[in-house]
Amino acid sequence: MNKGLKIFLIVVVLGAVVGLSTVYYIFNMPHRNVEDEAPAYTIEANVLFEEYNTDEDATNVKYGNQVLQVTGDIAELSINGYQVSITLNDEMEGVNCSLDSVAIDQNRELLEQLKIGDNITLKGKCDGFDMIMGVVLTRCYIVE
Amino acid sequence: MKLKYLVFTFFTVFLFSSFVAEAQKYITKIGTIDIYSKTPLFTIEGSNKKVASILNTETAEVVVSTLVRSFKFHEALVEDHFNENYMESHKFSKAIFKGKITNFSSVDLKKDGIYDIIIEGKLTIHGETNNIKENGSISIKNGEISASTQFSVSLEKYKIEVEKMYKDAIKDDILLKIHFDYKPYIKK
Repeated sequence: MNKGLKIFLIVVVLGAVVGLSTVYYIFNMPHRNVEDEAPAYTIEANVLFEEYNTDEDATNVKYGNQVLQVTGDIAELSINGYQVSITLNDEMEGVNCSLDSVAIDQNRELLEQLKIGDNITLKGKCDGFDMIMGVVLTRCYIVE
Repeated sequence: MKLKYLVFTFFTVFLFSSFVAEAQKYITKIGTIDIYSKTPLFTIEGSNKKVASILNTETAEVVVSTLVRSFKFHEALVEDHFNENYMESHKFSKAIFKGKITNFSSVDLKKDGIYDIIIEGKLTIHGETNNIKENGSISIKNGEISASTQFSVSLEKYKIEVEKMYKDAIKDDILLKIHFDYKPYIKK
């Protein structure tokens, strides 16, 4: 085999490997790691709700898709396997947080002890404002 | 004194019984919507477990509401594309349905069973509203109400654009599977 062809083949194979692994990497990119991400804002649950209730659009630009750390009293608690939802401040006019499955595994014992009225701090991704659920946070972790 | 007691008892019983009988509104905040599209090239599966709904059993009205960003996908890339390119969740954060179960009179809330229902109303996705009429079912078990439906939505009808290069990979009709387990709504 002549030298030129050999080099050409090596380049093609290398290119294909690099290309395919890039595609593979991009496609399997991990989700945002809310647990390690520093919160963009730290805020009380009632303040967060009020901000949304006053000017939803502007507040959504500010907090939407950001990681927020929210503190409040538990108003509603729903634990069902890997579906754990904690509502802070008020059942209808509050902050509705659903825990990440990793956070559920980390806090099995704590979750069993939680009760209505407990003060808790959670960190999660802000999805927006819903007319029934209030402010919605998903992929939440328990801070304290 | 006796009379006072009697009146008091009467009122408590009256209040209580009317309260029990008047649980007309049922609510859930942990309903689910699964979305699904399969072509030979690509399968898209997503799930939203933060779907709220209120069912009024007196008027047969149904409201369903959820946030687009609450849809989760296995691949982060698909989730990003879903939000940024297709649903544009920064502009249109919500998906809302308001409508009615048109044959609700055929559902007996006191009798266990599965009842076929027809749902009619307005569905708003991506800032576009369309009238829909779909089949579903209500299941009554020990007085608890669950509702399920599955139907397809056309991306074109909701002005959701798919780039030419992905046209073969993503179907125009996206299947939605929806489920709610309702609880009586008690206003405090």
